[in-house]
Amino acid sequence: MNAFAPSKGDAGPPALRPASGHGRRSSPFSWRWIDRLALAWAWTAGLLLCLIAGAIVVYMGIRGIQYLRPALLAERPAVGASQSETGGFLDPLEGTGILTLIGILLATPLGVCSALWITEYGRPSWLARIVETSIEVVAGTPDIVIALPPLFTATRDGLQAVPKHMREAAYAIGKTRIATIRRVLLPSVRSNIATGVTLGVSRTIGDTAIVVLLLGLTLRSEPQGSVPGIGLLRGTGSTLTTYVFQNSPAGEGAAPQKAYAAAFVLLVFVLALNLVVGRIGRRQADELGLGAAGAIV
Amino acid sequence: MLQRFRHPWTDDRAERTLGAASLIVGVVVVAMVAFVAVHAWPTFAHDGLSWLGPGGNLKDQTEAMQATGAHAPASAYHLNAWPIVYGTLLSTALAVLLALPLAVFSSIFIVELAPRRLRAIAIPVIRLLASVPSVVYGLIGVLVLVPFVGNHIVSDSEKAKYASEVQLNGYSLIVTVAILAVMITPIMVALICEALASVPKTWREGAIALGLNPLRAILAVVVRAARPAIVAAAVLATARALGEAVMVYMVSGVNFWSPRPGDGVTFFFEPLRTLASTIVAFAEGASAPALRSALYAFALLLLFSSLALSVAGYLIKLPLRKYQVRA
Amino acid sequence: MISTRRVLTALTVAGVLGAAAPVSASAATTITMSGATASYPLVSLLASKYVKTHKKARVKFRIAQGGAQVGVNDVSAGRVTIANVSRDPLPSDPAGLDFYPIAKYGICVVTNKGNTLGNLTASQLVSIFTGKVRSWSQVSGASASGTIDIESRTSVAGVLTSFQTLLLEGKKVSSVASEQSSEGLMRQAVEADPNAIGFISNYQSDKGGVHVVSVGGVTCSRSTVISGQYPGIARFYEVTKGKAKGAAAAFIAWITKAAPAKKIINTQWVTI
Repeated sequence: MNAFAPSKGDAGPPALRPASGHGRRSSPFSWRWIDRLALAWAWTAGLLLCLIAGAIVVYMGIRGIQYLRPALLAERPAVGASQSETGGFLDPLEGTGILTLIGILLATPLGVCSALWITEYGRPSWLARIVETSIEVVAGTPDIVIALPPLFTATRDGLQAVPKHMREAAYAIGKTRIATIRRVLLPSVRSNIATGVTLGVSRTIGDTAIVVLLLGLTLRSEPQGSVPGIGLLRGTGSTLTTYVFQNSPAGEGAAPQKAYAAAFVLLVFVLALNLVVGRIGRRQADELGLGAAGAIV
Repeated sequence: MLQRFRHPWTDDRAERTLGAASLIVGVVVVAMVAFVAVHAWPTFAHDGLSWLGPGGNLKDQTEAMQATGAHAPASAYHLNAWPIVYGTLLSTALAVLLALPLAVFSSIFIVELAPRRLRAIAIPVIRLLASVPSVVYGLIGVLVLVPFVGNHIVSDSEKAKYASEVQLNGYSLIVTVAILAVMITPIMVALICEALASVPKTWREGAIALGLNPLRAILAVVVRAARPAIVAAAVLATARALGEAVMVYMVSGVNFWSPRPGDGVTFFFEPLRTLASTIVAFAEGASAPALRSALYAFALLLLFSSLALSVAGYLIKLPLRKYQVRA
Repeated sequence: MISTRRVLTALTVAGVLGAAAPVSASAATTITMSGATASYPLVSLLASKYVKTHKKARVKFRIAQGGAQVGVNDVSAGRVTIANVSRDPLPSDPAGLDFYPIAKYGICVVTNKGNTLGNLTASQLVSIFTGKVRSWSQVSGASASGTIDIESRTSVAGVLTSFQTLLLEGKKVSSVASEQSSEGLMRQAVEADPNAIGFISNYQSDKGGVHVVSVGGVTCSRSTVISGQYPGIARFYEVTKGKAKGAAAAFIAWITKAAPAKKIINTQWVTI
């Protein structure tokens, strides 16, 4: 699938195979300068982004491993005069888990249903416009369904990329629209939904403002009120993100080592989540015959 | 009872259910906008739209507002928020301008050009980048980039030249824009990669068969086919940049200064303040009604910007419709 | 036949509710607080000691920050029981608030470690922080050269108000200053910039990393705060709406009178 190396298997029937054995490769040096520039820029951009991403992740990894002890994951945060007394980050860990779970549980059905409705039905069109715009407005605000816009966008783009002929083939054999959605479209956009979920989870976890503005910023979870689930949510006040915030110079700065450890745990948490979701959403490209690229997930 | 759901649904029922889910989203967002608008009303009532304009010293105005009590005189509501509106527009526009080519070409690299092993590492790592909390980006900025810019890039003579007007100590436009660009690129890369990957392989092969070199084939066919997705990704990324508060708060200087393009290169090293970071700065201290309604007015402005952004995205995708199934 | 999906859903719901079960089964009093970042370390230590030694009272604490002004506004609106404030009462404060002083601290003027500025007179302080003097070359004794980078705090910070009142003769810090939102960020800013000057509480400056400047010939440390020589001595207050009542009153009384509380205060701060 790399554009520059022809795949070994499909040189064609013997009569059409070129005399030199492999297909003729187009050397970049024979292109116009603007194409060469674009090629250079693509490599530069790609490598630059990988370098920056790698540097940040590696730095956080090194610092985190330096300071992370397994005990930290099991202890509740406490107030103490010195580092050894300040406990671990069990509460923030729970808070992150709860926030992510609720955020995704709320956002996924809404996002997928809206994307389906917009692409497959979408009547009346002024309502469709309002819904799409509303979701894009949500993207700029801190709220618990911050996962909704990436999920919606990824699913909608995936649905729009499914070629018309697949739908028409389904209608031709008598399937209703909803049956087509269930049996043909949703499976083929599975990897897009997975991408959307990973992006959504990333945004939910990474947003400090949600916790600061909405959940109140305290160190430990103290359920408020008597309704169990909702009380815990309102009293959460602490996720790994805000724990990092408070222990870093931005907050009180008393325990930067713990902040590094917490940030590292956060990244591991996200990595694990990405792997799980990626596995679920892996696209069976051959099965569907879409001829699209290999699994991006 | 679950048996009912197993029977094949009719299209009507499906349409109504899906439509209802979509409607919930629409209704909730409209309600949120209405809530903010109601709380922002006093500022509009006293100032009309002139509070968006320049003039006056915003620092003094906000401090004056904080000091007023529950029954503030009409003059307390007066403010000229142009510096922060300008700061928001500037930082967002520059960040997106920087991030868009980076994201598009990185996606081309990842999907088409990268060797398999590099791609296998790059994709999870870039996804991880999307989940790094904004406070960590802020810390990287404060601990690494700001001292670097303040101590090594801005020269002493530059600092001395502007010393009486503004401090050039590293908390600047360039650091804000650079970090914003790095924050929004992973979202765009993830979405654009998906879009590029879903273009049928045969389209690209057809272009190569017609004699285009591989890169031009990619640009002319694959990227063009993915244009609606690129626009959608850009809209999402811009909305993120608009709403980013914590990181900008830490690296932008928290100074009501409008960077002046006339200053030449120094323009990039001047501090600024944005709408979102101002809201977060005062959010907890705002009990004075005048300040509260001013903050809600800023929030309303942000919501309207996202709205305008969404409409702009729609308008850009409109002419692309004739080549797509649906744009 | 019970479908696995139903069982899974039931288990998930049970799990979520179960996790939320450690909701306070008994009715405990909760003291909510918000306010200064500078007094947060002290107040959290006091609160946790109080909970440990007063298990029978069954008191819980919920401490948020935000800045001294935030605390004042919150307590006057009834959103919190006690406000932590790091400055003296102002005329613009809402009426009906009671200020209970609990500790003294010093506001230290700090510069970068590379800047060996020994001492500043009161008038030098004023001219530097109000922006009249903009270059280190005009300040005698400073080893830094170049423009002075003034680091200040955001307007909600109590330390800023105290600093302006005590050390700047009531004048305001120049508007060219960069505003930092917390003491930690302020210390970081001064540590990283050779030309910086700022102000933090003695608790933060004792952590090292910055150079502490004497004011009027007096160094800024715990001992000069105790002796009262240092000009920039501010107070932490616990503020309630009206006279403190109930659990809040008991807590404040404990802070001001009990020996364990005084021991905690005397580690980094000074008792009244």
